[in-house]
Amino acid sequence: MLKIQNLSKVFDQLGEDITVIKSLNLEVKKGQVFGFLGPNGAGKTTTVKMMVGLLRPTTGKIIIGNHPAGTLEANRILGFMSENPQFYQYLTAREVLTFVGDLFGIERQELARRTDRLLNQVGLKGKADIRARNFSKGMHQRLAFAVAMINMPELLILDEPLDGLDPIGRQDFKQLIRQWKKDGRTVFFSSHILADVEELCDRVAILDKGKIVKIGSPKELIGQKRQTLEEVFVETVRTHVYDTVKGDA
Amino acid sequence: MLKTLWVIAHNTFRETIRDRILYSLIGFSILVIATSLLAASVSLGQDIRVIQSFGLTALLVFLLLITIFIGTQLVFREVERKTIYLVLSKPVKREVFYLGKFLGLALTIAVATAIMGAVFLALLAYKTKAFSWPALSAIGFMLMEAWLLTAIGMLFGSFTSPIASAIYTFCLAIIGHSSTSILTISQKSQPFLKYTLQGVYYVFPNLEKFNLRNEIIYNLTPQSPQVTAVILYFAAYTAALLLAGMAILKRDEF
Repeated sequence: MLKIQNLSKVFDQLGEDITVIKSLNLEVKKGQVFGFLGPNGAGKTTTVKMMVGLLRPTTGKIIIGNHPAGTLEANRILGFMSENPQFYQYLTAREVLTFVGDLFGIERQELARRTDRLLNQVGLKGKADIRARNFSKGMHQRLAFAVAMINMPELLILDEPLDGLDPIGRQDFKQLIRQWKKDGRTVFFSSHILADVEELCDRVAILDKGKIVKIGSPKELIGQKRQTLEEVFVETVRTHVYDTVKGDA
Repeated sequence: MLKTLWVIAHNTFRETIRDRILYSLIGFSILVIATSLLAASVSLGQDIRVIQSFGLTALLVFLLLITIFIGTQLVFREVERKTIYLVLSKPVKREVFYLGKFLGLALTIAVATAIMGAVFLALLAYKTKAFSWPALSAIGFMLMEAWLLTAIGMLFGSFTSPIASAIYTFCLAIIGHSSTSILTISQKSQPFLKYTLQGVYYVFPNLEKFNLRNEIIYNLTPQSPQVTAVILYFAAYTAALLLAGMAILKRDEF
């Protein structure tokens, strides 16, 4: 469903090249829930932005379905929820969903049905006609999740989707992910809340300084030591930092 | 593609028509146009000319303000507020997004022009006891000018801050209305200045082409060749500006 091959991203900052992603390779199979972990500044959001066409890779490629990332065909089969999602402040939750549904060319009656169902599923049923500017952060997250699902995407890409959600919101969210997986759809999400990643994901990759330092199922990563994913994460990132410093020396 | 274009244009229209700045500017412009009656009452037998001149100038100034305040922020605000993520991560071409934003604002400007123009034409009809077709064509030309300035404001807004693009657009509006003087000065200048001024004359938009204020004072309706030439000039210049803006947006990363 998702293939990342030899991906690199270099930003030009005041004439200096900053490499954010280095030769990243990754494959996510159809029907998998894939967790993308990493400390702040690891390059998770940069990778996600390249998947949806907001950024262009410096080298390498990303294939979504059978289409190169950033093309209309690729964007048609994916749903995207950005980190700290923003909406047009003068639109109500229903209008936001209708606007995005129209961009996908969804037929109006079907769109109205989906809008009602999704608003209900994300817990915004009674808030459909309230303008987005009056929403709390958690409500923004819920609306963004509904927006990402409006086209019933084959691949759902979520950047820090659990940020700002209360425990009930997180439960609802996890329930929806499970349902999504049951329907044979693919989910790719980055998160800092490792307990949820451990609970939901079939496979996990840990990214640090633009490189994948560990990849596998949560069970494989945790191994025989009976650690939690959080402990594995911290240990992996710290070891990688130590190795990098040693390598540089 | 056309449907996507309409969806974005409609959303932009909804965004800009709900902008409080627009309401304030339209309200204030109506007040200013209405005061032309007062100015006319103290003129010596020139009341209709005063209403025509005062009213049309007020209309132009307020259209320019709407263009500057809203047009220059349109793309910048999408990037700053990250609402551009919502649109460009969907099956939407960047060129279509840019064009949709322009068309949405163009529609808002047309509505604002219709409101302000209706007030002006009503005042003029009240004073002259007849409907002025030349005044209507002058308003139509002004609308084209406002659309062209919107394309300029959006182009600047796509690579610089709203304040800088507002200043640049305002300067271009001033230069554009000084085109005739620039050409006249160039003809009397030394070679270097002459070619520089001629360059300015040909490169920058000649907004005096859209100025029919003098014609309507003498009740002259523009002739078809003049109207066609102005429409073609407007279409070509605006298309070039929009293409440049689209190229910038296509290259950008967010």
